Amino acid sequence: MIQLHDVTLAYQQEAAALHNINLKIGKGEFVFLTGTSGAGKTTLLRLLYGALTPNSGEVLVDGQNITSLKRSQIPLLRRSIGVVFQDFKLLHSRTVFENVAITLEVLGWGRRDIGKKTMHILKQMEIDSKYDLITERLSGGEQQRVALARALVNDPKILLADEPTGNLDDANKNQILNIFKEANIRGTTVVVATHDRRLIEQSHMRLITLNKGEIVEQVEKENFRDCQDI
Amino acid sequence: MSKWKKKTSGTARIYRRPTLESDVFGGRVGFFLTRAISNIRQNVFVNAVTIGTITLALLIVSLFLLIFVNLESAVENWSERVQVTVYFDKELTGQEQSSFREKISALSGVLRVNYVTRDEALKRFKVRLRGQETLLEGVRSEILPTSFEIALNSTHRETDSVENIVTKLKQIQGITEVQYGEEWVRRFNSFLNFMRLLGALLGGFLVIAVIFIVSNTIKLTIYSRRDELEVMSLVGATRFFISAPFLLEGLIQGLAGSLLSLALLYGIYEAFLQNAGSFITFDPAASGLSFLPVEYISGLLLSGVLLGFVGSLTSLKRFINV
Repeated sequence: MIQLHDVTLAYQQEAAALHNINLKIGKGEFVFLTGTSGAGKTTLLRLLYGALTPNSGEVLVDGQNITSLKRSQIPLLRRSIGVVFQDFKLLHSRTVFENVAITLEVLGWGRRDIGKKTMHILKQMEIDSKYDLITERLSGGEQQRVALARALVNDPKILLADEPTGNLDDANKNQILNIFKEANIRGTTVVVATHDRRLIEQSHMRLITLNKGEIVEQVEKENFRDCQDI
Repeated sequence: MSKWKKKTSGTARIYRRPTLESDVFGGRVGFFLTRAISNIRQNVFVNAVTIGTITLALLIVSLFLLIFVNLESAVENWSERVQVTVYFDKELTGQEQSSFREKISALSGVLRVNYVTRDEALKRFKVRLRGQETLLEGVRSEILPTSFEIALNSTHRETDSVENIVTKLKQIQGITEVQYGEEWVRRFNSFLNFMRLLGALLGGFLVIAVIFIVSNTIKLTIYSRRDELEVMSLVGATRFFISAPFLLEGLIQGLAGSLLSLALLYGIYEAFLQNAGSFITFDPAASGLSFLPVEYISGLLLSGVLLGFVGSLTSLKRFINV
């Protein structure tokens, strides 16, 4: 589903943010990316949804080589990818419903269908009772669930999450992790960048550790218990 | 029938992608328009600021235009005084009159030809010397010349054209003396050129200032909503899909701004300017300023719409990164 071949990316004049990355993530996998701040987690995720292009190497997502995609084709790629952020990136002047419906509006769905599908996902996220509230009035955990609903409402093939639990308490973290797992069970490939060790230990999924733009360690799902030092 | 169909397999996707709204004719346009209107309702303050700026900017331009248009029509009236007179020592016979009239009228730039007889000339002389009629005692019409007064087209009132006509008049056999108030025509023309230059300069500066202010206001309002642009691009919206509601919003803002500015201009005109014609024409008998002609009004409306649209278009280019 995701393949990176010899990918190097440097921001202007700075040392490479990613250096010679080779990585394969299969369809339906659940992967954690970890590492200290500045290790390149966010840069790697941004590469995957076409917000950045590498200086060298190839990035293949869902069979498409992002490095050779035209700019106008990037939106089409993003329609099969859901993205979630630490700061949620919600539209605060709009309601919960409108924030989620936007994904389907972009796809050109009819109004009635948008209504049904949006309420369905809000129900799954246990936030359907607050559908007509402005998102500003929600708690952090609720806002993240709205962001997740927006990312998952069109059943994306890939879900990318950048520090999704950074602003949440333990109860909310667990709830968000369960949503990721459910999406994964339904067939979505999930990539979560986090340095939340508890979240990683709790989930026992494949782990990729980055340091200064390089992959320094990979722990497969089966071997997770053998890993002592994450 | 519902477009939603459940798949039979268990863990696979529950829903199939339904019919696109864009499959229906006009669906997208309706969607973008609805989105633009709801955006305006959700961002009332920002929209009010933009519409207010466009209104004020266009009001300044339209006030300038109103004054300029009236000044120009006043000048047009003055320029009617530019005329050429051909003098004759003798009274012309009816045949001579019509022959000269025909030859003069055939010249390009001649608007009207009027024959002034000796008696008519004396009458005018008397009117001009009213109160001092004693000066004219013993003066008889025979000592006055007869003449043709030639009014010129508005396009032939500049010094060069007048001189050109004078030269051609002198070439007509039988015409020896031609007068046209050379000094007055020269001064009038330099005043006219000065006024046009001043108008173009002031108008140019105003238009540049208006474009600068309005485009920056729109840029700021779009900057304040850059999160929205980012979210739209994250969920896979194309550049067109993100831009369309903003562009429609710009169109609506421009139209609203120009309509408001015209309404305000009309209010100001009704309240203050309608009877203020004497300030501009220096003529106390002037009937007052006239409102902007229809072509100027439609021009202002179009400029407002264009300002809103192009302002949004250039700002969006900067903030959308797909």
